[in-house]
Amino acid sequence: MTHDMHRRRFLQAVLAGTAASALPLKALAAQPDLLWMVWENLAKDEYLAPFLARSGVTISKNFIGSDDEQFAKLRAGGDSSVDLITPGLDKVDYYMASGLVQEIDLAKIPNTAKIYDAFKNSPLGKADGKTYGLPFYWGINPLVYRKDLMDAEPDWSVFFEDSKYAGKLAMRDYALEAVMIAAMYLEIPRDQIFHLDDAQLAEVKKALIAQKKLLRTYWSSIGDLTNLFATGEVVAAYSWVPPYHELNARGLSMGIANPKQGTIGWADSLAIPKGVEGEKLEAVYALIDYLLGEDYGKMLAVGGPYAQSTSSARDMLSKEERETIFIEDMSVMDSFIWRSNPERYNDWVALWNEVKAS
Amino acid sequence: MNDGPGRAPLLRARALHKTYGTTHAVQGVDFRLMPESYVTLLGPSGCGKTSILRMIGGFEDVSSGMLELEGQPLNKVPAARRPINTVFQSYALFPHLSVAENVAFGLAYRDLGREAQRARVEQALAVVRMQDFAARRPRQLSGGQQQRVALARAIVNEPRLLLLDEPLSALDRRMRKDMQIELKDLQRRLGVTFLHVTHDQEEAFALSDWIVVMNRGQVEQQGAPQDIYRRPRSAYVADFIGGSNVIPGRITARQGEEARIETALGPVVAAAEESLRAGDAAALCVRPEQFGQAAGSAFEAVVTHVVFAGSGWHVELRAGQQELAAQFTEPPETGAALRLGFDPARVWIARAGEAVA
Amino acid sequence: MSRTGNWLAAPVVLALIATCLVPMGVLFAYSFFQVDFVAINTDPTLKNYAKIIGSETYRSLIGRAFLSGAVVVAITAVIGYPVAWFVARRGGEWKSALLTLLLVPLYTGDMVRIFAWRVILGAEGVINRFAQWAGLITEPIQVLLFSPIASHLVLAYNFLPFMVMGLWLGYEALDDALVEAARDLGAPPVAVFRRVVLPMTLPGLIAGGMMVFVMVVGDYMTPQLLGGASGVTVISAINDLFGTAFDWPLGSAIACTLLALLGLFLAVAAYALSRMNLGRSLISGEA
Repeated sequence: MTHDMHRRRFLQAVLAGTAASALPLKALAAQPDLLWMVWENLAKDEYLAPFLARSGVTISKNFIGSDDEQFAKLRAGGDSSVDLITPGLDKVDYYMASGLVQEIDLAKIPNTAKIYDAFKNSPLGKADGKTYGLPFYWGINPLVYRKDLMDAEPDWSVFFEDSKYAGKLAMRDYALEAVMIAAMYLEIPRDQIFHLDDAQLAEVKKALIAQKKLLRTYWSSIGDLTNLFATGEVVAAYSWVPPYHELNARGLSMGIANPKQGTIGWADSLAIPKGVEGEKLEAVYALIDYLLGEDYGKMLAVGGPYAQSTSSARDMLSKEERETIFIEDMSVMDSFIWRSNPERYNDWVALWNEVKAS
Repeated sequence: MNDGPGRAPLLRARALHKTYGTTHAVQGVDFRLMPESYVTLLGPSGCGKTSILRMIGGFEDVSSGMLELEGQPLNKVPAARRPINTVFQSYALFPHLSVAENVAFGLAYRDLGREAQRARVEQALAVVRMQDFAARRPRQLSGGQQQRVALARAIVNEPRLLLLDEPLSALDRRMRKDMQIELKDLQRRLGVTFLHVTHDQEEAFALSDWIVVMNRGQVEQQGAPQDIYRRPRSAYVADFIGGSNVIPGRITARQGEEARIETALGPVVAAAEESLRAGDAAALCVRPEQFGQAAGSAFEAVVTHVVFAGSGWHVELRAGQQELAAQFTEPPETGAALRLGFDPARVWIARAGEAVA
Repeated sequence: MSRTGNWLAAPVVLALIATCLVPMGVLFAYSFFQVDFVAINTDPTLKNYAKIIGSETYRSLIGRAFLSGAVVVAITAVIGYPVAWFVARRGGEWKSALLTLLLVPLYTGDMVRIFAWRVILGAEGVINRFAQWAGLITEPIQVLLFSPIASHLVLAYNFLPFMVMGLWLGYEALDDALVEAARDLGAPPVAVFRRVVLPMTLPGLIAGGMMVFVMVVGDYMTPQLLGGASGVTVISAINDLFGTAFDWPLGSAIACTLLALLGLFLAVAAYALSRMNLGRSLISGEA
């Protein structure tokens, strides 16, 4: 979820959807070669080196530019050669509904025992008690602000109520999160947020139309938002974490707010396409176990910096490193609202377009 | 000049200059246009005649010098405000407008009612006999018809001065003759001054009351057509207006109107250009029909070519190094040696000068 | 054309069909489907089109796209006329160099240009800083950036070269003697333009205008990144439907509607253009 999803032209999606599968036939080899659809920053060679050395397995990487692209590729027939995919945890529903993924046998992945309770208790990625998408790593999409330009730590209300910061705020151009934040601000109970009824949607729409007047702009790429923070065009935004680190490193005083209404958490998952079997499947399980283990977890915490979904590497990190990835005080997870897939998402998107066009 | 006392010129050019970058197109030209006259600016291409026309029309700035219209300075008046209209070389009819709309174009800037406008357009088209073509587009017309529309479009505005930039050059020979007559006739009927630019000396003679012969940005000679024909000031003019044998020589004596010139044909005493003095280089001008067999001061010449020319025979001869053209009523034998002469009272001595390229 | 020529042309034609027509065909087919979560229901229906006609949002987005196109065409025409005149009439031996120069901004890429404009128009940007320094304003002018003004300004800047190209061709076909004739007949400058230059360069204006119009309607980066909260375009709405909502059928239907309207618009413009040329060739054929 860390990449810009809007840069693609829609025709590319159509092309991807219609092009017959041109992926190469499986190579027959003594040691299986795994094809992994993954974000580039999660599969750096040094992150994977210990596993490759130990197992003798080789890994081919197919980098994804957006979750939608991954889904489109797989649905177009790419599943015949892909062995492991990395969908957003909230998107696993799509893959399950399309019959693209197989059940994951947790018994073959010892490190699943160390998965945080927040994920163990979440229904995301599961159906009928079976797991199809295994939480992989996670983070928060926080409210980031310029400490030097704001008097106090803001909460979500700054995006909905007129203040002296009006005209210096930014919101991501993304229906799911825009509606979630409005619902949090309106204090709609958490268990209803992804099941909004017509009346609630109407309320959300009203709030978002009011919000529009307070915004400098909607942002669509994180580099763009970082730029807006840096030039002072924007003092507070619903953001991702990178501008916070990047601009602090450049000497600006950036803050992450902890809004009382809640924070949006996200997680990406690992899922195995249907049809992967035998030796390859065994190798995939071994790879997943490695990805949830301590070697990978430490490297991801320092290099990412992202937290994996297990506590495998937690004790090996310094307090500072744990704070960077929000695992020092685990209770913070309680205020998270995990991004899920709303049942009436098409209505959400329609609503969002109405708001923007209003 | 043909202006009597009390007649003020319509337009006056004084020390007119035009430079484009380093090119001096017009270099100190003076002339006057009298009211109701037909004046031709005559010269080869590049002589500056078109530049003068464009300055008068207001399409080019005057580099230095003065243009005056009826005593008022004209230099700074924009083209649109000059009571002058132009017939362009390519006619420049508006292709997107009908003939009537073309003619009416300039009337929009006058205080005329719709009816008055229409009447004026009809009248102008009638003058050029184009009333039946009012609804046509320019491209549906022949060259001569376009020419007439261009004339109508200009004269409908009742200009004080009508400029014509090589107006007949795009027409075939036959059409050109007809249009010449029409132009002259039109000018007489309207009583408007026409300033006509051309490189065709026949056209100039046929039309003009006054001819200004241009050479390299300067006026070489100006005067009534007959004067220019009979008494070209220089070998250049004599050569350009054509027809004359221009025989180089040197003045040995000058007395009153006459001078004595030494040429390859022998010494001749004849009327001479007024500035010529003994010792000056000069040119004897003899027109082909002035040569006769063994008349007056005689010389010997050999026939080189004989060509039938309808009304007579065009004969080319050689007298020493000098080539000559003559016109005879009977054809001589090619190669025959003839004794020729001419009546000195009818020939003319002009200033020397470079010939026209 | 020879048979060999046909065979040699075949790959190109096939490639054109494959890359151009097939996706369009797929798009068109999808517009009659329905989506149920992730399943595409292929029973043909007109529901998507009914939705568009019934939706204030999509109607106004399409209308706004066309309005933006018209506004930018108008801006580029106003700026383009003097520029094209200069290139055509004063360019001389530098003509091709000038035309190339005009295209230079196009080589820099969308993002570079957009961020350059941010630097110029922003609250902390060049213009606001200068105006504040000069004492003209005390507070930065917010509306310079992240507003329809900003996006239309930059769209006009982006597509001006195409308008200039069209108008330049128009000017090349315009005989200066016609302008002189109009002045000679007493027309003041505005009338010379309206009665002679405009009608004579109209084919160039239409050609340039069509290019600019289509590109403005299809551009969503500029409005999105410079237009602020109201920078949504019909294209970005289609993008949302394809990308995040998986509602390919509705997205396809909007895209098809937009294409159809664009096609209609272009057909009208092309008809007007062909009538001018046709009229001309007919007339010259008679003469």
